[in-house]
Amino acid sequence: MSTITALGLVLLVLMVAVGGKQGWTAFLSLLLNFGFLYFAIILVAFHVPPLFVTITTGIIILAVTIFMGEDDLRTTVTAFYAALIVTGVLIALIFLVEHWAMVQGFGTEDSDDLEGMSILIGISYFKVLITVTTLSTLGAIAEAAMAIAAGLTEILEAHPDVSNRQLMTSGMAIGRQIIGTTFNTLFFGFFGGFLALFIWFAGLHYSLGTIMNNKIFVAEMIEILISFVGVLLTVPTTAWIMTRRRSKIK
Amino acid sequence: MHSHYWSRSRMIMLAVLLVIGAGAMLLVTHNQRFYRRPIARVEQVHAGAVQKTTDQFKNVDHEHQQRLTVRLLNTAHRGERLTVNNTYSDSQPMDQRYHRGDQIFLSQLRQHHGRLNANVSGYKRDGVVVFLVWLVSLLLIMMMGQAGVLALVSVVVNALLFIIAIEVDLKNNGEHVMLIFGSLAVIFTLVSLLLILGPTKKMLATFGATVIGTFTALGLSLLVFSMTHQRGIYYESMQYVTQVPRPLFVAETLLGSLGAVMDESSDIIATLFELKQLNPAVARRQLFLAGRNVGKTIMGPLINVLFLIFMAETFTSSLLYIKNGNSWGYTFAMNMSLGTVQSLVSGIGIVLAVPLVSLFGALLLGRRVR
Repeated sequence: MSTITALGLVLLVLMVAVGGKQGWTAFLSLLLNFGFLYFAIILVAFHVPPLFVTITTGIIILAVTIFMGEDDLRTTVTAFYAALIVTGVLIALIFLVEHWAMVQGFGTEDSDDLEGMSILIGISYFKVLITVTTLSTLGAIAEAAMAIAAGLTEILEAHPDVSNRQLMTSGMAIGRQIIGTTFNTLFFGFFGGFLALFIWFAGLHYSLGTIMNNKIFVAEMIEILISFVGVLLTVPTTAWIMTRRRSKIK
Repeated sequence: MHSHYWSRSRMIMLAVLLVIGAGAMLLVTHNQRFYRRPIARVEQVHAGAVQKTTDQFKNVDHEHQQRLTVRLLNTAHRGERLTVNNTYSDSQPMDQRYHRGDQIFLSQLRQHHGRLNANVSGYKRDGVVVFLVWLVSLLLIMMMGQAGVLALVSVVVNALLFIIAIEVDLKNNGEHVMLIFGSLAVIFTLVSLLLILGPTKKMLATFGATVIGTFTALGLSLLVFSMTHQRGIYYESMQYVTQVPRPLFVAETLLGSLGAVMDESSDIIATLFELKQLNPAVARRQLFLAGRNVGKTIMGPLINVLFLIFMAETFTSSLLYIKNGNSWGYTFAMNMSLGTVQSLVSGIGIVLAVPLVSLFGALLLGRRVR
C-alpha cells in the first residue's frame, strides 16, 4: 500500500470515529475538492480559458465545502452567498494586484526543477496565476463565512427579535473572536510550506531588497495577504447577508 | 449603547492610516537609492520582431523582441538614458513584457566607448507587498479594533520567530531540523495564544491541547510512513531544497498544520469554558461530548482550508508537466504527492485534536462523577 492510501485510510477512519456521519461527509468533500481541482488543471491544459475555469471551479469548491460541512440551511445558504460575493470582489482585487506585481510563472530559483522542460506552453501563466491565487483563498473564505453565519444563526434562534443593527454588531464581535486564530491558520498554512525556500534565501544571504522583489516570495506574500483581505471582507458581508435573509428561513 | 460607528477617534485613526499609506507608497516608489542594483524606468518601448516557436509537444508560442529606452534612477549614472533589449513570450513564464513607466532592475551595467550597456534582470515589485500589507492593516484596525491589532502583532512576532529559527537551522548546517522546528512550533503556539487569549487558564489549556494534538498526529503519521516504507512519497520532487529533504518536509508539515490545530483547540476550549461558567457542576463526560460536537463541525472546513492552500500551490507546475506530455499519474506523483501527504497529515492532526482537546478540557474543568 502506498503511503498516501494508508494516510487517507487513517484519516477516513479517524474522521468517521470522531464525527460520525458528519465526518464521512467532510472526508467526501475533501475527495471532491481534490477531484475538481485536478479537473481544473486538465481543463486549463486543454486551453479552456483560465478565468472561466476559476469561476466555475471556485463556485463548485465553495458549494462543496460549505454545503457538505453543515446541515443547517440558514447557516449554509447565507455563508454560500457571502462567500460568492467576497470571492467575486477578491478576483477583481487579485487581477489588479497580480497585474501590478507580474509574478506569474516561475522564478530563477525554479530553474533546477525546470531543466529539460519546455516552458513555452502557449497558455498565459498570468491567467493561471489568477486561478491559483483565487483557489488558495477559497477554503479560508468558506470557513470564515460558516463560522460567522453559524454564530448569527444561534443568536437568531435565541433572540428572534434582535434588530438588524444588533445583528451586524454581533457579526463583527464574532469576527473579532475568530480573526486572531484564523490569521494564524493562514500564516502557518502558507509559510510552513515555504520553509525550504526561506532557508534557501537565508543560506544564500539574499538581501532584503532582493527578497522583496523576488518573484516567488512576492507571489507567496500576495497569496497570504489576499487571503487575509478575503477573511476580513467575509465578516461584514456574511453579517449583512444574514440581515437580508433572516426572514427567508425560519 | 450603540454609539455611531464613525466616532471622532475612528475618523482620526482613518486619517492617520491614510497618511501612513500615502507616505509608505511614496517611499517605496522612490527608494531606488537604497538599492545597490541599478534600477531604471522604462521611457519608450519599441516592439521588434516576433518569432513563432513550437516544441516537440506541439505547444505553440510566440517570442517577441523589445527595445526599451530606460533612464537610470540610481547609481553614479543616475539620470542617464540607455537602451536595453528584452525578449518575452505570449505565456510569460520566466520572461515578461515591459511597458512604459515600469521600473526594472539592470545587471552588468557598463560604460563602453562612452555608451552605457546593460541587461534587464527583473522587475521592481516591492510596492505591491507594501500596498497589500497596508491594506490588510487598514481593514484590520478599522474593522476589528484591538483584536485586529493583536492579530497583526501576533503575525509579525511569528514571522520574526520564523526568521530566527531559520538562522539557528543554518548555524547547525541543517542538522537537528526536527528539534529546532519542533521547539519552534511549541514557542509559536505559546506566543500566539498569549497574544490572542492573554495569560489565562484558558490559554494554558488551549496551549496544552494544541501541543498534544499536533505532536500525536505527527507521531502517528510517522508511524504510517515507516509502516508503508514511504512508498509514493517523492522527496526528490520537493522544491527549493538546500538541505536533507525528509526532515525539512516533516518540519514543513508540522508548521503547516499548527495554526489550524490551534484554531480548532481554541474554539473547543472556549466552548468548554463557557459551559463551565453556565453550570459549574458540569460533568466531565458532558464536557467531552460538547467539545466533540464543536470539533466535528469545524474539522471539515478547516481541513479544506489547508488542503486548498497546499494543493493550489502545485497548480502551475502540474499544468507544465501535463503540457510536456507526461501522464496524469506521473504529473500527480511528481507535483502533488507531497502536497497530498501534507494535507492528509494535517487532516489527521486536525481530527485527532478534537477528542484530545475535548478530553483535556474535560479533565481540567469537569467534575468527577462518582
